[in-house]
Order: sequence, then structure tokens, then C-alpha cells
Amino acid sequence: MIEKIKKSLFSEVSIAPLVVFRIAFGALMFLSTLRFILKGWVYDLYIKPAHYFPFYGFEWVKPLPEFWTYTLFAIMLIASLFIMFGLFYHLSSLFFFAAFTYVELIDKTNYLNHYYFVSLVSFLIIFLPLAKAYSLDNLLFKRKAIEKVSNAWIWVIKSQVLIVYFFAGIAKLNYDWLIEALPLKIWLPAQSDMPIVGGALDELWLAYFFSWFGCIYDLFIPFFLVRRKTVFWAYFFVVIFHVATRILFNIGMFPFIMIALTVIFFPESFHKRLLSFLPKRKSIEGASTYLISLPLKRMLKYGFVVFIVVQLILPFRYALYPGKLFWTEQGFRFSWRVMLMEKAGTSFFYVQDKSTGKEIEISNCDYLTAFQEKMMSTQPDMILQYAKIIKSDYEKKGMKNIIVRADSYVTLNGSGSRRFVRNDVDLASIEDGFSNKDWILDFNE
Amino acid sequence: MRKIIALIFISSLVLSVSCKKKKEEEEEQKDDFNKSELLVNYSSNIIIPSYQDHLVKLDSLVASQQRFILNKSITTLTDMRQKFVDAYLSFQNVSAFEFGPAETALYRSNSNTFPCDTPQINSNISSGSYDLNAAANMDAKGFPALDYLLYGKNRTDQQIVDLYTTDINATTRTNYLTQVISSQRSSASTILQTWNNSYKSTFDASTSSDIGSSIGLLINQLNQDLEISKNYRIGVPLGKKTLGVILPDKCEAYYSKKSLELVKKNILTCERIYFGNSLSGASGKGFDDYLDFLNAQYNGVSLNSAITNQFNVVKTKLNAVPETLDNSIVSNYAAVDAAYIEVQRLVVLLKADMPSALGIVITYQDTDGD
Repeated sequence: MIEKIKKSLFSEVSIAPLVVFRIAFGALMFLSTLRFILKGWVYDLYIKPAHYFPFYGFEWVKPLPEFWTYTLFAIMLIASLFIMFGLFYHLSSLFFFAAFTYVELIDKTNYLNHYYFVSLVSFLIIFLPLAKAYSLDNLLFKRKAIEKVSNAWIWVIKSQVLIVYFFAGIAKLNYDWLIEALPLKIWLPAQSDMPIVGGALDELWLAYFFSWFGCIYDLFIPFFLVRRKTVFWAYFFVVIFHVATRILFNIGMFPFIMIALTVIFFPESFHKRLLSFLPKRKSIEGASTYLISLPLKRMLKYGFVVFIVVQLILPFRYALYPGKLFWTEQGFRFSWRVMLMEKAGTSFFYVQDKSTGKEIEISNCDYLTAFQEKMMSTQPDMILQYAKIIKSDYEKKGMKNIIVRADSYVTLNGSGSRRFVRNDVDLASIEDGFSNKDWILDFNE
Repeated sequence: MRKIIALIFISSLVLSVSCKKKKEEEEEQKDDFNKSELLVNYSSNIIIPSYQDHLVKLDSLVASQQRFILNKSITTLTDMRQKFVDAYLSFQNVSAFEFGPAETALYRSNSNTFPCDTPQINSNISSGSYDLNAAANMDAKGFPALDYLLYGKNRTDQQIVDLYTTDINATTRTNYLTQVISSQRSSASTILQTWNNSYKSTFDASTSSDIGSSIGLLINQLNQDLEISKNYRIGVPLGKKTLGVILPDKCEAYYSKKSLELVKKNILTCERIYFGNSLSGASGKGFDDYLDFLNAQYNGVSLNSAITNQFNVVKTKLNAVPETLDNSIVSNYAAVDAAYIEVQRLVVLLKADMPSALGIVITYQDTDGD
């Protein structure tokens, strides 16, 4: 069995799936970036805010002045086009990855699993031979097109896509999702004004149906995608599933990205047929197999293994923390936990003069955008960061001997709001880190 | 394998259809919640009548001011003051509708940025040249400015009348008063017209639950208004932003001493909007019905009963504050603070629990997809 897998994994196959993937990814990244700019989100998310919430360990990532922020997005636009055409391919993917990831690291307010996915894929493709055929690089450098590559290259991408689905499925294996149909029970009726299907969205059975269907879909679609016999059927469900989520929820480009990239699972004949529509260079004779030097091969092999294994472990790190995961969000991000909870909060922050005990209540809108305030209110690590922002501002105003505390209330999956963090601790003096945040109150207290 | 998938797909379809049928038979009586009825109730029975009422009160104020100009006396002043208070109270009925035409006119901040800037008002009057639309005059107009112009600080009624008759700036002061009142009336009238002409149909048709939808706007602005009560009508005078140093003269309507009446009116309006009740108190489809329809819960009780109860608690605490608000802040701090704390609890319910239960999307940005 293992021998068989090994043989298949390193067998020589057509490069066509990689080329199609490159063109689709480049085109989608171009469109996504353009959409982001045209919606004015560059300004709303990266220029307008007075303060930002960098990720732990990435505090050195700073927002850039307006001109340079737009420059980063221009780099993304150009690099994604270059990726699509296979021009200066490896450099272009490196630039795209760097620009995109830098922007994502500026403010965790904007964290989305699908941005994380784009960062991962764009990193991965820097090292993959996606532009060895049907590329401007081949024209420019007068190189012969490569026709055959090791199947392992394709499997690197496939495994990345499979991880997303499978872990999204595992994340749905929880009481609220399966037994209570939450949060869909809350979200679906909110869309009941939609044409045609709207009337049915108030129905409780539909929330259960979608919850279970979504969970089973995520868990099992990988197994059907990888089998040649079932891949077309599986793809049919991929399209249905993502189109449905796009119609019902405000999730932007992600469904289109998944629909387009899942094509990688199709047999190579399909990809060859797709590519036959492209103009082809005549001198195909002498086309060859893609080979790399042994040391490089070994390095990449171990690199990919580490890359995948880390992703297999990360989603389980939550188990190291006590308490309810959705409540504390310790080990929540980077784990494909998507659309799992309806969480909202309100928080009131106070600067307290230590010597007198007298307080100043903070207006959150003096520091944060409405979107940042909403995100901060329900995420403990952001609450800490915000307390530090307030403290440093008041220290600048000349108040030295102060603490920052908060009255915060959060409701999770319709539970009703309850106190979220201890209101008697100096949040500004607590250092963020990987240790347990024992100042978060228990959900059931 | 293909057959198995087909089987799963078809059986789930069949299952869902049969489930639906069963459900329909069970609950034939139960209608879907009609969001459009909710919106029509708000626009037809609450918002537009509130603006109409507000405009009527402003018209009376204009008339009383014209009578005052013809015959400047304590009698006409008293009459004008009464019409001013009526108009200010009617403003509390519309202050929460700061979207659409009101947002275009920045009606809330143009009408009620308090405390007013008295040096700015006095310098406008003594110079005689000013542009009420300039940003610098944001806190030199509207109801807070009228409050100052009609009552003044520590002045007898006769002294106020004198300011408009014998004072060196009597003419420019009279003009200023006229302009503040007429610009107030004209923007209220524009807002009402836009509601009647075009915005009502836009409002009624936007039935989704996005941030820019009518339900999203109503809830968002209801919360903003409630937070103005918490932060500015009560919080700032109570010293919440100044290390406990009380600032009674920052109360809304400080000169006329109507602060407590206005904040009570504001809370009552928020409550009325929540219940979907008209100005006369006639009940209609409101957020209470929507929450009950969705069976929204709050730590073991229904969310609607939690909110209803909290409105009652807030009203009780406010009623326990003796007149006037600025005096009570000085001499009865605990009573005002108790009211403040309960308003804050109400904010949590309306700002976190209600939108969450209704599935209101609060951002234009993409959310996490699957």
C-alpha cells in the first residue's frame, strides 16, 4: 500500500494541472485585490484607523503611510497579473506573498481564515514549478516548455486544499453546531427577506439541515475529491456548497477562490483540454521533464513536510487551554474555524488613578473604528492590546500612576451577554503570551 | 461510489421536502415574521409622525418668536420659552432617526451639540457677522443655543427681555435668535419632505439585515442615541470623563433646567422605538415582537423580557432623581449614579444582545467564509 502510494506520488505526470492552477490563482488574486481597493477598504482598514492590533510576535509590522500602503496593493495587483502570465514567476509570487502577508499582519481586526489561506498558498507556490509551461518566462528566456513533472508537486497543493476542508469539518463537530444548529439558527432567519428561498429560512429544520450538511460535506469531500471516479460528483457538491454560502452570507471572494482552485483535483486530461484553448508555441518537441538538483529536492521535500505537519498540529493547540474555546478564543485562529459562532460584545474601559481610585471612562470611538471596537470587544488578546493603547495615550497626557480596567460583556451563540473578563485587574500591565489568560471569566460562571 | 453519493443527495432532498411538509402541517397558524410590516410600522406610524409633530412644535416656536419681536415683554418671552421646551422635547422623539435625510442634514449634531459655546454665541452676536453653517458654530446654534438665549445665566426674566430691547446688541441678538430658530425649522422641514417624497419607499424596501439596511440603521442609531444619554446627558456632568470631578453646567438644557425632563423623554422614546409604539402609544410591530418571534434568550429568560425589565429599571432610577439634574449631581450623586449604571446595563442589552440575536451584520467587510 505504502509502496503504491509512494510510486504514485513520485510518478511523472502532466504539468497541465499546475499551469491551470497558476492562471486561476493569479487571476483571482488580481480580482480580489482590485475589489478590495475599489470598495475603499484600503482606506477604511489601513489608513483611517488611529491604532492597530498587530499579531503576537509581529508587533514590528507597522501600518505604512498612505502612499506606501497603496504601493503595497499596487504590488499585489502587478504581481498577481505576473503570476497569471508566468512572468518573473518566482519573484512575482514572492512579492505577492510578502505584500499580502504584510498587510494581513498589520491588524488582526481583519483576520479571516481565507486571508490566511491565501498567505499559505502564495507562500507555497513560490517554490513550485507552476510557470514551466505556458509562461512568458519561457518566451522571454527562450526556455523549452516542461511537459512532465513529479506528481508530488501537485499533491503539495492538493494537500493544502484538503487541510482546509477537513479541519473546517472537524471544527464543526461540536455541541452548538450539531445539536443546537447554532449559529445558523440565528443567521438564517435574518435572511428571510431573500427572494424565492427567503420564506424557508425561518424554518428550524433548515438550520439543522445546513449544519449537518456543511459538517458532513467538509469532513468527507476530501475523500471524494482525491478519487478519480468520484471527483466530478464531488466537484458538483463543491459548487453547490460554495454558491449557497455566497448567496446566504457576506463572504466575499472566498467561494469563488475555492470553486476555482478545487479544479486541481480533476484528471490531467481535463486540464490539457482547458489549456488547448491557449495559444501554443510551436517548438514543443524537446519538451522535457522538470528536474531539480538533489540537495534542493531534499530541502524542498523536508520543507513541505514541515509546512504541512505544522498545519496539522496548529488546530489542536486549543486543547492545551482550559475553558470553552469559543469563549476564550485561546488557540482559535489559524485553525479553519469558519462561521462557527455568533459572538458580540460591548465593553467600557476605565483609566483609574492609582492613588485616588478616581476614574475616567473612555469613549472607544476616540481610539477605534466601529469595526475594531466590535472585534476587540470579543477577543481577549485585543482587549489587552487596547488597554495598552489607552494607557500609553494617557501617559503621554501626563498621567503616570494609572491602571486600565474594563467592564466587558459578551454574548455567544445567543446565550445572553455576561461578564467577559475580570473588571478588577489592570489589563494594561498584563503581558500577552501563550500562557493561559486566567483573567477571562468562565463562560458558565 | 457515484451511486452512493447520488443516493445521499436524493435522500437528503426527499428528507428535507418531507420535513417541510410535516412542519407546515404542524404550524399552519404560525406566520413568518414580516420584516416589511415592521419597517412600514416604523416609517408610517413612528418616524414620519414624529417629524410632523416636531415640525408643528417648531412652527409654534417660530410664531411665538414673531409675537415676541412685535412686543418684547415678559409675557411673550414666557410663551416663547414654553414653545421652546415643547420643541426641544419633540426633538427627543426624532433624535434617534439619524440616518437617510437626517444624516445628510447632520440633524442631531446641528440641533443638539451641548453644552453650547457661550463665548462663541456672544461674539457672533456682538460682531453681527457669522455663518451658522460653519463648523465653528456647531455648538453655537440649535436647542442648546436657544436654551442660553432664552434663559441666560443667573438672569431675571426682565433682564432677558432687556437683552432684546435696551442692550447695546439688542438688534443683532434678536436677529441671531431669529436665525437659529428659522434654520432649525427649515432643516426639520427638509427632512420631513425627503421622508415623504422619496426616502420612505427606500426605507420600507430595505428588508435585509446588513449594516446599511433599515433595521441595521434603526438599531445602530437607537444605540447611538442611548449612548448620548449615557455619556453626555448623564455621564459627563457626573464626572465620568473627568476623574470624578462633577461638571453640572455641562448638562443638556442647563439654563432652562429641563435636563431631567429631556433625558427621561429620551429614554421613553428609546423604549417606544424598541416596542414599535407610536407617539400616542398605540402599539405596533417592533423589535420586541421580532425578538419574541425568534425566541431570543437571555441567560434563562427571554431577551425581550430582559430588555423590557431593564427599561423599567432605568425609568424607576431616573424617577428617583429629584429635580433638577444639575442640583442632584451636586447634592444627590448616588441617585444619579444609580441611574447611570442602569442605563449602561441597557446599552449592553441593546448594543450586544439585540443585534446578535437578530443576526444584524455590523460591518461592510467580508466575514469568514467556509
